[in-house]
Amino acid sequence: MAERDLVKTGITGLDNILSGGIPRGNVILVEGSIGVGKTTLGVEFVYRGASHFDEPGIIVLFEVSPEKVMRDALGFGWDLRALERERKLKIVFTTRDVLRQELQQADSVLLDEAARIGARRIFIDGVARLLGENGSYESRSAFHVLTEGLQRENLTAVLAVEAAAMSGNAVLSLPEESIADTVIRLRMEDSQRATIRSIEVVKSRGQDFQMGRHSLRIVNGSGIEVYRRVQAPRKASRDRAAAFDPTTRVPTGIPGLDAIVNGGYFIGSTTVVAGISGVGKSVMGLQYIAEGLRRGERSLMLSLDEQVPQIQRNAASIGIDLEAAVKSGLVHVEYEPPQEIQVDVHFHHIEELVEDLKPKRVLIDSLSTYGLSLGPGGRLFRDFFHALVALMKENQVAAVYNHENPEMLGMKSMMGDFGMSSLVDNIVLMNWIELGDAFRLGLTIAKMRANPVDRITHECEVVDGKGMRVLPRVLPSPRHSFSAYAGLISRSPERRFEGTEKGVVE
Amino acid sequence: MLDRLPVIRRACDLDLLNFLSRHPRALLTIDQLAAFVGYEMRQVAQSIDAFIEAGLLERTQNANHAARMYRLLLDSYGDGGLKALLALSSTRQGRGEVLNLLRPREPSTTVEHIQRKGRLHAIA
Repeated sequence: MAERDLVKTGITGLDNILSGGIPRGNVILVEGSIGVGKTTLGVEFVYRGASHFDEPGIIVLFEVSPEKVMRDALGFGWDLRALERERKLKIVFTTRDVLRQELQQADSVLLDEAARIGARRIFIDGVARLLGENGSYESRSAFHVLTEGLQRENLTAVLAVEAAAMSGNAVLSLPEESIADTVIRLRMEDSQRATIRSIEVVKSRGQDFQMGRHSLRIVNGSGIEVYRRVQAPRKASRDRAAAFDPTTRVPTGIPGLDAIVNGGYFIGSTTVVAGISGVGKSVMGLQYIAEGLRRGERSLMLSLDEQVPQIQRNAASIGIDLEAAVKSGLVHVEYEPPQEIQVDVHFHHIEELVEDLKPKRVLIDSLSTYGLSLGPGGRLFRDFFHALVALMKENQVAAVYNHENPEMLGMKSMMGDFGMSSLVDNIVLMNWIELGDAFRLGLTIAKMRANPVDRITHECEVVDGKGMRVLPRVLPSPRHSFSAYAGLISRSPERRFEGTEKGVVE
Repeated sequence: MLDRLPVIRRACDLDLLNFLSRHPRALLTIDQLAAFVGYEMRQVAQSIDAFIEAGLLERTQNANHAARMYRLLLDSYGDGGLKALLALSSTRQGRGEVLNLLRPREPSTTVEHIQRKGRLHAIA
């Protein structure tokens, strides 16, 4: 079977959702309301063709002057004037009347111009009023004439059409959609007080593509960037990745904890450390990263809560030189402000980091901040976390997610509103336990998949300059060890057998 | 500067040149072109012929088509200050100054002005 001749758009991320490109000769309708990026997409399609794929192109404009299009393109780093000089591009200003007449002629001046530079691509900006009344017979037939003319020259054409009613979920079905081979819909959607652009391939003849609304950004200096929606299937290897290595363990770096978790977390496993703010989750995370450094393993730390200098300062307070670790190249620390996270863009960035750095350990601080941004009980958060877990498993990363459980004393649920525990392999609960006039720190392994686990609440402490450690079950007098109490994480612990309980030394 | 640019003799020349510099490859009919620049078709046709003769403009000829492809050849035209003139006349004040300088060269200015004014009244 002959290989399909696909035209790569060259637009970042778009070819991925189009399974490599668009079949050559397709007429592509790009529809959307004003300001969604139709012109930018069309111009970039022609620019990338001429500059990257040796496919000259034509841009046809009705209202915007070529001078302005060239000026705006320069802002993306696209020198259209230079391409014109190299005879790889022509920008033609005309009117809809002329174009309509032109394309009905066998010896079209416009198509002749295209042929002179061997054009393979064409972008016509604003075909809507070219077609007259929406839905009318004249409209459909005018569009048909237009597409026939383009196909005669084997041009792959992007036609931008303004659809005023197409904002948010409102969709105005255009008559041209049935004639076009490919229909791409651009939208601007309100999210809280932000506005987010999205792109959807509604149909595309002769090829497979990823359905749904993907994120789209217009970035100064580079152009359009498309990010596959986080829910979209990636590669088969990611789906198969759940069967991780059942023998290799990744030590935690917390003195006393490895003995409780049978030597460490499994490689490729998902661990959630849950507890209220201040219990030492971030300290544990830093020690986890430091342990990797000590072993010469690469680590990635993603923070939504604290900026990098603050993390470095925290690390220094427990004797970890994170700055040096970053300089060594073994540790990468990244901060992303949680406000207005675009989940597709953010996930793509994490994918790139994981695939480029190939870390053995990843720390994400914190899951609850994602929840606040994406809605903890919402579908979006679940889909994001699911995708994150699959990514880490595919790359055989032992990932630790800190999660702020809002309960100060005790816990009535392991992950609060986050109904994700089925996706998680290991759950470490961190608790304040009020004994006498002091809060003491408790650690319980609530879940450890494919591992024997004692579910005993162990006492921990965080020592300035040293970090966290799990205390032995037997404590020197006058403290009573946790084993002397019942109901430690049910908010009302009681002494069991004072003075006689194992572990208490009077 | 204008002495070195014999191709610019009238207001229509200047405004047409400015339009074509913003739309260096235009596929239009002569009446559309005249409407875009705001002059009589006859004047625009004269300016076009002068530009073509001076090697400043290229025009396709096809009897079957009402529209012509106009291509401005600014780079291949000996500069002689043409780009500087375009830059100067791209502002309202600059254009006004250049038009003032052109006025004495243009015997039909008054008539043309009246005609344009009349058209504006008709539109209003």
